[in-house]
Amino acid sequence: MAETQAGTLVLEEVSKVFSQRGGQGDVRAVDRVSLTIEPGEFVTLLGPSGCGKTTTLRLISGFEMPTSGRILLDGKDISHRPPNKRDMAMVFQSYALFPHMTVFNNIAYGLRVQHTPRHDVQQRVERVLELMGLSGMGNRRPHELSGGQQQRVALARSLVVEPRVLLFDEPLSNLDAKLRVQMRSEIRNLQRRLHITSVYVTHDQVEAMALSDRIVVMNNGQIEQIGTPEEIYRWPVSRFVADFIGRANFLSATVQTSREKEATVTLLGRTVTVSASALLPPGTIGTAVLRPEALLLEDDPTLEQVVVEQTMYLGSTVEYIVRLGEQRLIVVDADPRPGRVFREGATAGLSFEPETVHLLAEPAI
Amino acid sequence: MRTLTRNHRIAEFRRITQDPVLFVGLVIVVLFVIITVISPIYAMVEESLTEKGRELFERYLTSPVYQRIFRNTMEMGLLVAAIGTALGFVLAYVQVKVAVPFKRLIHFIALVPIVSPPFAVATAALLLFGRNGMITYDIFGVRYDIYGLDGLTLVLTLSYFPVAYLNLRGMIQALDPALDEAATNLGASKWRVFRTVTVPMLIPGIAGSFLLLFVEAIADLGNPLVLGGNYEVLATRIYVSIVGLYDTTAAAVLSVVLLVPSLLVFIVQRYWISRTSVVSITGKPSGTPQVINHPLVVWPLFAAVMAIVLLIVIIYGVIFAGAFTKILNVNNELTLDHFDFVINGYGSEAMKDTTQLSAIATPIAGVLGMLIAFLVARKKWTGRHALDFATMLGIAVPGTILGIGYLLVFNGPQQITLPVIGTVTVIPKLTGGRAVFGGAAAIVLVYIVRSVPAALRAGVAALSQIDPAIEEASVSLGADNFGTFRRITLPLIRPAFLSGLIYAFARSMTTISAIIFLTTPRTKIMTHQILNEVENGRYGNAFAYCVILIVIVLAAIGILAVAVGTTTGAEKTTIEGAA
Repeated sequence: MAETQAGTLVLEEVSKVFSQRGGQGDVRAVDRVSLTIEPGEFVTLLGPSGCGKTTTLRLISGFEMPTSGRILLDGKDISHRPPNKRDMAMVFQSYALFPHMTVFNNIAYGLRVQHTPRHDVQQRVERVLELMGLSGMGNRRPHELSGGQQQRVALARSLVVEPRVLLFDEPLSNLDAKLRVQMRSEIRNLQRRLHITSVYVTHDQVEAMALSDRIVVMNNGQIEQIGTPEEIYRWPVSRFVADFIGRANFLSATVQTSREKEATVTLLGRTVTVSASALLPPGTIGTAVLRPEALLLEDDPTLEQVVVEQTMYLGSTVEYIVRLGEQRLIVVDADPRPGRVFREGATAGLSFEPETVHLLAEPAI
Repeated sequence: MRTLTRNHRIAEFRRITQDPVLFVGLVIVVLFVIITVISPIYAMVEESLTEKGRELFERYLTSPVYQRIFRNTMEMGLLVAAIGTALGFVLAYVQVKVAVPFKRLIHFIALVPIVSPPFAVATAALLLFGRNGMITYDIFGVRYDIYGLDGLTLVLTLSYFPVAYLNLRGMIQALDPALDEAATNLGASKWRVFRTVTVPMLIPGIAGSFLLLFVEAIADLGNPLVLGGNYEVLATRIYVSIVGLYDTTAAAVLSVVLLVPSLLVFIVQRYWISRTSVVSITGKPSGTPQVINHPLVVWPLFAAVMAIVLLIVIIYGVIFAGAFTKILNVNNELTLDHFDFVINGYGSEAMKDTTQLSAIATPIAGVLGMLIAFLVARKKWTGRHALDFATMLGIAVPGTILGIGYLLVFNGPQQITLPVIGTVTVIPKLTGGRAVFGGAAAIVLVYIVRSVPAALRAGVAALSQIDPAIEEASVSLGADNFGTFRRITLPLIRPAFLSGLIYAFARSMTTISAIIFLTTPRTKIMTHQILNEVENGRYGNAFAYCVILIVIVLAAIGILAVAVGTTTGAEKTTIEGAA
């Protein structure tokens, strides 16, 4: 193992069980989660509501105690250390600004708790106000700020204490769409610049992909997959991941031959070599993941024929919902040439690009 | 799984002990509740189950006299609860939903009975509606006998309906106007909206007010003592058992009989009504409530409300007039003799003692209430529900019962024998002759115990309005639990703290049933003195006491509001201008 540096966060087989009221069984919110986050890394916990991502974050922050397993920060076991002694700072979904304090006092709060000398407090708060583009707003009250400004104050308040780990609990979900995109890139830039280990929770896959070095996809309290945004999008390990990250069509494919990470399959009447998440014996029927942009509609009667049920012209792209036998598929044409848009009710030939297809070991439904 | 849960509890516990301030606070609170609430009630129940107590139980159950007393109590309780809730509902509904004039005045007058001492109303009613009543005899020429059920119902209803009014007003305000709009939009008339939306939504509130008034009525001691006449209820019989017969066991047995319905109501309140409530208190109204302005609805309701208001005004008018005249309605010469008696004469001691003891109890009750609210609403630990329940018992049990419990537990020093050191007095004798501080300590404890529940509820309500993430943010930035409580939580629940303090002071100044057995010649309490004056027919003195008591309470409210502050600092100010 490499030497631990400031901000290495390790989760070892961490579980959290909530006992139900009235003793009706227990709920395993987090189930044997193991994870190593490197210093300065930005990791996102992603998943649907109830998947355990928020509980995992709260375990890291210390607001919940693990039922079993260990959490280590720079090699020290902090599993049962109270949250105020963990050297982490959390940015909350609701911002959780102290409503009875000015912006300045909100940001100075953590420094004053640490008994930082008055002069230093002044300097450091001023510096972070400037960094966050909040200069001159120190005397405002939180309710006098816009949503985006409140979010900046919340972030400033956490940054100013220079924590070893920054925690984010869906911090952008209360902002409108445009501001969300803007704050997203601000957070990313800031984090890269300050090089603070960050753990971010969201259910928004676009946000996760835009921000993260690595994404941890969670489901039912367990980790489904860990990987870079590209790895997760291109090589999902399960139907759940493929479906949750981006949009996906699932088609059955019959395996001809299978090697490590690769398989030759028969798909839509063609025999092609595609990437695969596991070794599969020949003859097995697996599930091919085809992203909407991997599918093409062509005016070619030799191809498998589909009926266009819906055409949505979105400007830079055209989206189709087409019917193939009993199955409905989404097709996105990213280059809709004039005169090449299929109308609703039309019949078209369905083609695909083999290099973007990925094979899962699960049988298609 | 079972061992897992146990480990979990141990871990929970360890987490609380990790924070010494929190842990010490928890230990103090739990010990306090055990000593001052649980042990007196337990002692009272234990006393009733002695051999003698069991014999008395049997005797009472079969005796027609006692059956009658029990029936009387229930009858009175149900009547007061029904009429008081109806009055409270009408006032609350009119206040929120009907376009009538003088709303603020109506609101203010409806709250007057809350800050006034008990049986001030009873005494005034006696002068107004009794055999020589200024209204019944002087105006209508009727020699009306007010003693008994009718008089008691009138007086208790007037004394306690403000509780129902406040309760229901809050709930009607919290009703989402969008519901009314939705129903109207679907074609319902206003009457239909009222019948099918408003009332069903308020049923938990109505039931809750009914039960609360029922318990208040059957626990009331002062009014039945003044106006009961031959109509005996449990509370008065308990009083007679102690004061007249010196029979603590009989009092304990009767107390248990009184305790059972009170506790049942408390439990139903807590576990049924609070669960079935469909009114969301935290949600902000999404529109402005529709106001009813149809003249055929407005004016009859206005007349009904004004009648209640007028009655209250007349009654308090009599109290003031009586305090400033020699003998009201007999010799109407103006005089300050009664005030002289209270302020400079015999009554000054009671006035000072009561104010001092209330002033001691008030901050303790306020802080304890907030601390327990914090421990119960914000900290996850097994036993927090039990602590909440036990604290609430302080007000859920009738005052007389608590008083008897104190007599039983604290009439001698509580000692434990330790191996080397020998016998150590843990709690000295607090009640009766030769008690420490002349019995004042026990009275202060009772004041606190009776006041903490209201502060606790106010605190819990305020805390539930504060996003827990705000406190977590503070902890996440390095503050410990105590620092977070001091810097973040306490400032944000300041208004609740203030209302807890005000309630504590007003309640302490006006309480009678819980302390009537605890006063000693060395410690005189105003409410007890008022009772003596009324029983001896010296109404002028009683009224002067009442007026002074009301003035002290109002002055204290002002002082507390200034000292504590009515705002959190988080209120939106329009002057500074938003960004």
